[in-house]
Amino acid sequence: MRKLLKKELSLCLHPAAVLMLPLSALTLVPNYPYAVTWFYMTLGIFFICLGGRENHDVIYTLTLPVAKRDAVTARFLLAILLELVQILLAYGFMRLHRVLLPEPNAAGMDANLALIGEGFLFFGLYHLVFFPSYYRDVNRVGMSFVKGAVFAALFVIADIVCCYTLPPVRDVLDTPDPLHLGAKLAFLAVSVAVYAAATLLALRISQRCFEAQDIR
Amino acid sequence: MNKILEVRDLVKMYPGFTLDRVSFALEEGKITGFIGRNGAGKTTTLHSLLGLLHPDGGEIRFRGEDFAACERDARQRIGFVSAGMEFYRRKKLKTITAVTKSFYERWDEDAYRRLLGKFALDEEKTPEKLSNGMKIKYLLALALSHGAELLILDEPTSGLDPVSREELLEIFLDLRDGGKTILFSTHITSDLDKTADNILYIADGKIRAEATLEDFVASYRLVEYAQADPALEAKLIGPRRSKNGKTALIRAADAGEIPVTSRAVNLEEIMVHLEKEAAGE
Repeated sequence: MRKLLKKELSLCLHPAAVLMLPLSALTLVPNYPYAVTWFYMTLGIFFICLGGRENHDVIYTLTLPVAKRDAVTARFLLAILLELVQILLAYGFMRLHRVLLPEPNAAGMDANLALIGEGFLFFGLYHLVFFPSYYRDVNRVGMSFVKGAVFAALFVIADIVCCYTLPPVRDVLDTPDPLHLGAKLAFLAVSVAVYAAATLLALRISQRCFEAQDIR
Repeated sequence: MNKILEVRDLVKMYPGFTLDRVSFALEEGKITGFIGRNGAGKTTTLHSLLGLLHPDGGEIRFRGEDFAACERDARQRIGFVSAGMEFYRRKKLKTITAVTKSFYERWDEDAYRRLLGKFALDEEKTPEKLSNGMKIKYLLALALSHGAELLILDEPTSGLDPVSREELLEIFLDLRDGGKTILFSTHITSDLDKTADNILYIADGKIRAEATLEDFVASYRLVEYAQADPALEAKLIGPRRSKNGKTALIRAADAGEIPVTSRAVNLEEIMVHLEKEAAGE
């Protein structure tokens, strides 16, 4: 797996995915829907998969002495790595935000620990939407991205709506840190668990789809 | 005769096309030419051998073992080279090589360096900066450096100028002489006239012939005629217009029984007449 991950980093990592990482700094922008930040990384993952198609990555990989399912795992690991770096960067900018802009966010979740939890939730569910579709037909990566983009749009809308209408979100999670820290940490823990479970499920489904797929 | 690869009753069904119980064997240390017109099933067969497609039936054995059961080991010993397969066109060759070699237990760095020199390949270049011939040579260098015993070549000479083609054909012959086995798929039959030991001919998803090149070519003769009488017409295979009348194949065994003279044929003449016959035109 180490070799396959090295292959992903050396040959498949698209510059666009790296360029999306500093966009974690969007959490410094006042009154911005910070959940959009996570969407940018899905663009990066899309470009990796699109570049893979244009560069015959799948055929190259499958002529190597590796199992098909391991190729899927390596792609997941690359996505997870990028997402964790993005979340980590966002956490750093979020701490800075608290010092520079203590006012609440009027466009969705505040830059706080619950936002980090949202990030995990978003990426976990995104894996379930995008990857099984992508691994059903690696040549139709655009269609898989459209499905993912629809999910991302709904997620961002739900985030903003909940921050205005749902009392536990509005009054507890969407508050500046360190208010309601216990509830936010619990939300973060649940989100991380959902991320892990959804990613594992997405991986298993994707491996099955890819194993069954004819590569042409 | 050692068989490095055996395929039995391989079936792959698509709407409108079926690879129909394809069976053949590759003799170790020989070049086997795999011919057939576009869409005949060559690439479907090769991709099934590589595990890129899931056959609906049949069996593939590599060195006597079930391919699926020894897939990883088999992939260590098989090299695949395909024209137009441009991997990571903006990555330097040295980057692609560094990744590729890490997967192979028997990677021979000295052999790789020798091949780079022999093929005049510059590792600082990217695939998009290479000519088609150089791309094929690079893929060959990778395949040969990981100790591939069987090379599967899919249209490797397509799109190459005559000089580059000749260069590659010489390389294939050198490899054959060095004990490598080559399955060479192409519709440029003249390349096989010059290199192949054996011929596999596929049409409409079925293997129509599996023979040595000599036997395959010797089994037909070509007649040129203006008008065929009924006795001759019954023996003609795939008659077609030519510059000075018509040409057709006949079975070599029938050569003494017809009133016109016949001559030896090459692979291309056999293929075009057999395809004409199959099309029933």
